Amino acid sequence: MSFLLRRLLQAIFLLIGVSILTFLFSTLAPGNYLDEMRLNPQISAATLASLRAQYDLNRPLPFRYARWVNAVAHGELGYSFAYNGPVAPLLWIRARNTLLLTLTAMLLAWALALPLGIWSAERRGHLPDRAISLATATLMVVPELVLALGLLILAARSGWFPTGGMVSVGFAELSRWGKLRDLAMHMALPVAALVLSALPILVRHIRAAVAEELGAPFFRAATAHGIPRRKLLYRYALRAAANPMISLFGFSVGTLLSASLLVEMVMSWPGLGPLLLEAILARDLYVVIGGVLFSTIFLVCGNFLGDLLLYWADPRIRTAGGAR
Amino acid sequence: MILERAFPLRKRISGGLLLLACASFFLIPSSMLPLPNTQELLSVPGEIGHAGGRLVVSLRAEPKTLNPLSAIDAPSREVIGAMQADLIHINRGTQLTEPALAKSCKVSSDGLQYTLVLRKGLRFSDGQPLDADDVLFTMRVYLDESVHATQRDLLIVGGKPITVRKVDSSTVIFQMVKPYGAGERMFDGLTILPRHLLEKTYLEGRLGQAGGLSTPANLWAGAGPYRLKEYEAGQKLVLERNPFYWKTDVKGNTLPYLDELVFLFVPSADAQVLRFQSGETDVISRLGAENFSALARQQRTYTMTDAGPGLEYNFLFFNLNDLAAKAAPEVTSKSKWFHEVKFRQAVSAVIDRDAIVRLIYQGRGTALWGPVTPGDRRWVDASIGRPPRSPDRARALLKEAGFSWRTDGNGATELLDSDGKMVEFSILTSSSNADRTKMAALIQEDLKELGMRVQVVPLEFRSLIDRVTQTKEYDACVLGLASFDADPNSDLNVWLSSGGTHLWDPSQAHPATPWEAEIDDLMEQQLDTPKFEQRKKLYDRVQEILAEYQPMIFLASPDILTGAKNSIGNFHPAVLEPYVLWNVEQLYVRSEQVSASR
Repeated sequence: MSFLLRRLLQAIFLLIGVSILTFLFSTLAPGNYLDEMRLNPQISAATLASLRAQYDLNRPLPFRYARWVNAVAHGELGYSFAYNGPVAPLLWIRARNTLLLTLTAMLLAWALALPLGIWSAERRGHLPDRAISLATATLMVVPELVLALGLLILAARSGWFPTGGMVSVGFAELSRWGKLRDLAMHMALPVAALVLSALPILVRHIRAAVAEELGAPFFRAATAHGIPRRKLLYRYALRAAANPMISLFGFSVGTLLSASLLVEMVMSWPGLGPLLLEAILARDLYVVIGGVLFSTIFLVCGNFLGDLLLYWADPRIRTAGGAR
Repeated sequence: MILERAFPLRKRISGGLLLLACASFFLIPSSMLPLPNTQELLSVPGEIGHAGGRLVVSLRAEPKTLNPLSAIDAPSREVIGAMQADLIHINRGTQLTEPALAKSCKVSSDGLQYTLVLRKGLRFSDGQPLDADDVLFTMRVYLDESVHATQRDLLIVGGKPITVRKVDSSTVIFQMVKPYGAGERMFDGLTILPRHLLEKTYLEGRLGQAGGLSTPANLWAGAGPYRLKEYEAGQKLVLERNPFYWKTDVKGNTLPYLDELVFLFVPSADAQVLRFQSGETDVISRLGAENFSALARQQRTYTMTDAGPGLEYNFLFFNLNDLAAKAAPEVTSKSKWFHEVKFRQAVSAVIDRDAIVRLIYQGRGTALWGPVTPGDRRWVDASIGRPPRSPDRARALLKEAGFSWRTDGNGATELLDSDGKMVEFSILTSSSNADRTKMAALIQEDLKELGMRVQVVPLEFRSLIDRVTQTKEYDACVLGLASFDADPNSDLNVWLSSGGTHLWDPSQAHPATPWEAEIDDLMEQQLDTPKFEQRKKLYDRVQEILAEYQPMIFLASPDILTGAKNSIGNFHPAVLEPYVLWNVEQLYVRSEQVSASR
C-alpha cells in the first residue's frame, strides 16, 4: 500500500511543480494579452493601462499565483482574458470533445495492436511478421501532421468524408441514426490519423513483449504438454507479457488529452487543441495554465492507473513495494 | 446654417387590421409576425431576393464575446456586426455614411451639435422598443471608464467626452466641445445596447463580462438583422432572422432574407479553403493569394471575386527611438544610419515593390509609396510620386550621406558608414505571417545590392510587438496595419508623435523632428475641420511628408480576395470589414440554384 501512497504523493508534488513552472514560463515569455491592442490605433494608452490593471498584469508573479491557487481551490481555474469569463467551463466542454476522439482512437488502436502484435510475434521471421514490421516502420517515419493532411486531401478529393468539424450544420434536424452516422463520419478521419500514428509503437511493444515470452522455458513446457496454441498465446503468453503493456496502456490513458492536439487543429475538431493554440498565441495565461494542468492531471492519472494495474497483476511489485 | 441630409425613407403604414393581427399573434411563429404598423422602415436598393435558407460562413477563430463593449477580435466583431445596429452606418460599398437607426442627422452650423432623430417603431430583436433612453444608456456605458469599452476613445473629442441629451423619445442631441472632422462617421460601430436587458448588469458593475457566448438567447438582443439562436462551444454559432428588423428591399419585403446565419469555427486558413471547396461553407473571405488562385482554377459551383485593394498597408520601418542615453556604441551607430533621411530614402529606392506584388500577392495587390491605398478612394493622394526601383539613385543618396563601399575577400561589395563601419542590421517580421516573412526576404536581397548585410528574424507576433513597443530592442521591422475606416482619423495614433502606434518612435512627449511636428499640426487641424476638401488638402500634405521622410517605407497592399457559391444573391464584397457580410441582410439563396445543386 505504501507503494501506491508514495505514487500519490509524487503525483501531487508533480502537479504543484507543473503549475509553478507553467506560470513562470508563461509569464517569462515576451508579450502579453494586451499587446495586439497596442497595434490598434483606436485604443489609447490610457485604456491599455486600465485594462492592464483590470487583468492584474502589473501585479507581481507570486500575487497572481496565489490568486490563481485560490481560484483552483474554489473549483475554478482562473479567468480567461479573451473570453472574459472563467476558464474551467471553456476547458470542460472541449475536453469532452477531445476525449470522445482520443478514447475511441485508443480503444481502436489497442483492439488492432493486440492481435497484430501477437500474430507478428508468433510468426516472427515469416512473411506476416515482415509485412507488419514494414508497415509499422513506414507509419512510424510518417509524421502525424503528414498523415492527417494526407487523409484530409483524400476527403477533399473523394468527397467520401467531411473535411473537418465534429458534426454537420444541419445535425439537429437529423434522426437519431442520422446523427450517429454523421458523428461517425466526422470522427472517421481524425480517429484514423490517431490510430495510424499510435499503432506502430503499440504493435512493436506487444510483439517484443510476447516474443520474449514465447522463448521462455515455461512456454516450451506448456507447448510440450499439448495445450492448444490459441490458448497458450492468449491465456499464458499474453498474461506473462502484460507488464510492459500495462505501462504502455497507462501512458496511453495519460496522453488522452494531449495526443490529439495537432490532429484537432488540422481537422478542425472542436477539442482542446484549437483552444490551447489560440490561447498560447494570444497569451491568454490562465487558459494555457488550465490546459496544461488538465493534461498533467490526465498523465498522472494514467500513470497511476498503470501502477494500480501493475500492482494488481504482478505480485513481485507488491512484495518489492512492501519491502521498500 | 443647419445642414440636413435627406435620407431615403419608406414609411410603412398597414391597414390596421388589429383583430387579424391579434389573432395571428397567437397562431403564427414569431419569425412571421407582421411588423408594427407605425414602423418607419428603411428601403435599401439591391437585387430582390426571397426569404428562407441558410448561409454558412467559416471564421478563423471562435468569437470571444457577443458584447460590443469588450469585442476586440475580428470574429467577434463580424458576429456582432450581424446582430447589432448603429445610429448612422458607413456603407462598406460606397464608403459613405447612410442612415441606420437614426432617420435623420442635423449638424449645427458651428459643427458642435448633432441632432439625431430615431425611426419610429424601432424594436430590439426581443421585441422590446428601442428609443432615446437606450441611446442615452448606451453612451453612458461607452463613456464610463470603469467599463473599459474600446469605443470610449472614439467619443473623446477635443480632450472632452461627448455629451448626449434627450429631446424627446426619438430625438437625441450629441454635443461636442470642438468640431469633429470625420463628422457622422463616428456613429458607425457605436451599436445601441438594450437598456432593458443590460442596465441592471451595468449597475452591478458586471457589464464588461456580460454577453459571453453561452448567454441564453432570450437574454441577449440587438437591433441588427440577426439574433442569437444557438452556440456550440468550439463548433458553431447559429443566428436566426430578427423579425423586428427595420430594413426592407425596394419592393417592401422585410429583410433579412435568410432564416439562419451559421458561423463555423475553422482554425486555419487552409481548412477554411477545404470547407469552402467541398461546399460545406457558402462564402469565404480573408484569403491569401495562393489559396485564391487555387480556388479560382477550379471554380464551378462558386465564383471567386477580387474586390480590389484593401486598406491594409505593409511597410518597413527602422528603430528611430532615442536610445543614445543607455545604448551600446554598436546600437548608437546603427541609430545614426536609421536617423539619416537619405539612408531611408536609399532603402526605399532600391526595394522592388513590383516584385513584392508579383511574387507574394501573385499580382493581386498594389505597390505603395504612401500609407493610403487606392482602396481608400476619397483619401488617396494621387500626386505622390511612384518612382521606379533605382539602385543607382539609392547609391547616389548613400554617397551624399557619407557612405562608401569596399570589396571583401570573396568579391562581395560591403557598404561602410562614414566611420568605416560595415552596414549590417536585422529585420524582424511576424513568423505567423508568411507574406511578410517573404517580403522581408525580398528586401534582404534588394539591400544586398547596396552592400548592406541584412538578417531576417521571424518572431512570434506578440514577442515582436513587445520588442517594438516595449523593449525597443530591434533594428528594423516589417509590419502591416489595416485602417478600420476610410478616413484619416482611423490612423490618428499612427501619425501623431504622441500616439502609441507611432511605431518608429512611439508616445513622444514632444515631436522629435520638425516634420513630425508638422504632421502633428496637420492631423490636429484635419481633426476639427468639417469640410472634406480642406481635410483632404491637409491629409495630402501628411502623405507627402511621409513619402519624403520615409519613417515608414511603404511596400504593398494586398487585394481583398473573396468567393461565394453561385447560389448566393446580392454578393458584393467590399474592401472595408466585414468584407462579405456587410450587406448580410440582403444576401439570399437563389432557389433555382439550390434545387439544381441538390
